[in-house]
Amino acid sequence: MSYALVVAEVRRGVFEERNLDSIGICALMGKDVSLLVPDDNSYLINEKLVNTIIKVKLEEATFLNPLNMVKVVQAVIDYRGNPDTIVFTHSSSGTELASYVAGYFNLPLITDVSGFNKEKNFFYKSYYSDKLFGEFRQTGEGTCVITVRSGSFKEYAVEKASSPITETIEGTPAAEGRSFIEYVEEETAEIDITKAEFLLSVGRGVGNKDEIPDYEELAGMLKAVLSGSRPVIDKQWLPKPRQVGTSGKTVKPKVYLAMGISGAFQHIAGMKDSDCIIAVNKDPEAPIFQYAHFGIIADIHKVRDKLRNIIKG
Amino acid sequence: MNILVFTKRVPATQEEELRIIDEGQGIDFSKVPFKVNDWDNYAVEEAVQIAEKTGGSATAISIGDAESDEVLRRAIAMGIKDGFLIETEQILHDPNARATLIFNFLKKEGIPYDAIFTGVQSEDDQFAAVGGILAAKLGLPYASMIIGIDSLEQGHMIVQRELEGGLQERIKIILPCVLSIQSGINEPRYVSIMGIRKASKVERKLFKAKAYDENLNSMIEVVKWVYPPKKGGATILSGELEGVCKDLLGILKEKGVY
Ligand SMILES: Cc1cc2nc3c(=O)[nH]c(=O)nc-3n(C[C@H](O)[C@H](O)[C@H](O)COP(=O)(O)OP(=O)(O)OC[C@H]3O[C@@H](n4cnc5c(N)ncnc54)[C@H](O)[C@@H]3O)c2cc1C
Repeated sequence: MSYALVVAEVRRGVFEERNLDSIGICALMGKDVSLLVPDDNSYLINEKLVNTIIKVKLEEATFLNPLNMVKVVQAVIDYRGNPDTIVFTHSSSGTELASYVAGYFNLPLITDVSGFNKEKNFFYKSYYSDKLFGEFRQTGEGTCVITVRSGSFKEYAVEKASSPITETIEGTPAAEGRSFIEYVEEETAEIDITKAEFLLSVGRGVGNKDEIPDYEELAGMLKAVLSGSRPVIDKQWLPKPRQVGTSGKTVKPKVYLAMGISGAFQHIAGMKDSDCIIAVNKDPEAPIFQYAHFGIIADIHKVRDKLRNIIKG
Repeated sequence: MNILVFTKRVPATQEEELRIIDEGQGIDFSKVPFKVNDWDNYAVEEAVQIAEKTGGSATAISIGDAESDEVLRRAIAMGIKDGFLIETEQILHDPNARATLIFNFLKKEGIPYDAIFTGVQSEDDQFAAVGGILAAKLGLPYASMIIGIDSLEQGHMIVQRELEGGLQERIKIILPCVLSIQSGINEPRYVSIMGIRKASKVERKLFKAKAYDENLNSMIEVVKWVYPPKKGGATILSGELEGVCKDLLGILKEKGVY
């Protein structure tokens, strides 16, 4: 029986929700799912979604180490045969594990998969921050490794009403080349952007640090809180707790006003559930307009200045 | 410490309209400017800082057409000692093929290193994969999303990896190793046009990819390029700027936030 091996991502004892996208794409592809999880905890998994659960006697951090993962995958292959797809999440750990597994076993790899076409059997992959997509497929036969974009396939993961077979395999000795020391939490915030009702968020489009005070002023006039996309935080124009996105904060304000932000999925993932999204960007093709409720195609500085003038009266 | 760092020339598409041509087989880049991949800037800066601190050297390597010399000169202007261009006419879409090319090159040329750095992903194809595949092929430890190097010691490093939602992990990694460098780890230094011009005088070494094409087959292929699906999209507020801004304030009032 052909099967897909879904490598679960478990962080501090939590079965990450993005695993549902990995399970969902398998359902869409019509494949049986074998879910690979570390066996050091009792995670909350909806077991009805999968055919088999393979528990590995390893701690979470050892399991999520690419040097150990290749040995675990080898152990699975040894007694179950080759899976036709190995599925990881498209996250910090998922991309790290997937690329190492693909390199180690010399397998084709397609990352950041956000769609699948059943008739033509191709994967849909983003290019240029979602400005274009490529329809990809492997050239040969055999196992293909993929990483799956969070939020893309969850709805396909439906319950099968069956209870899965659970198998337990021995863990391998932890690799010496790389070892886990500890988790580190982010510094605490002076302002919690997740609590704001109205966020004015600025992106790389602001141009340089000198422009920031003017956007702060505008935010003040609008009674909004100023947040930003990653480049703004990387350049230290705004402090780290103000970052919206997968590696920053997930926000759901009443209004999210995005100025000079293109709409990369790592940013979108952090703000897409806002009640009302308004985007200002000079590029009419900017992907953020696909997620926004209202759009303004203009230079953000001109919009800022005009808004200030109108408010000042 | 000797560090090899990969740097790539990519189209700067953030503000450009991208047109698909040849019935989905190509993309028109004729009017699109090119630049260095953003994540590689951080990787180059980190390599230069480590070389400065430890007294080793940092070497930049780029795979691409002759124009990729541009990103090598930029890296040299940032303090990189040597620039190697592996020149290839053909675009390698498959990260496996790129990693294989690098693997063959490093082996055949016997290039010494203590660590290999890449950016976490390239802006164009967003595979986030070459570092990991290469590390596995070389049999080296690998870590991605490196947001901090806490300490550099004899034979190992202590580094911080970025996870989701503001969480990080601290790990120990043995040298030699491959690291993918995340943005924000440092502040890439400013390079002036003058600096780049000066860097042109430093010799860059040219290698032809053909010499390293053993096992260089593509395991994946692009069937077609397509535009993103339209999701209904936004209601565009149009007209004079004054009117548009008033409409915007009207929406804020209606939503009860202003
Ligand atoms: C592992 C990982 C995690 C990440 N985590 C995050 C995250 O948490 N949050 C995040 O935001 N990103 C994150 N990113 C980065 C993400 O991929 C993008 O690089 C980033 O979101 C781009 O930010 P931006 O839209 O501000 O910049 P760009 O993509 O450069 O876009 C700038 C936009 O501004 C517009 N513009 C420029 N000038 C003007 C002007 N004068 N007027 C109007 N418009 C203008 C341009 O048309 C363009 O659309 C992550 C990436 C990785 C790989």
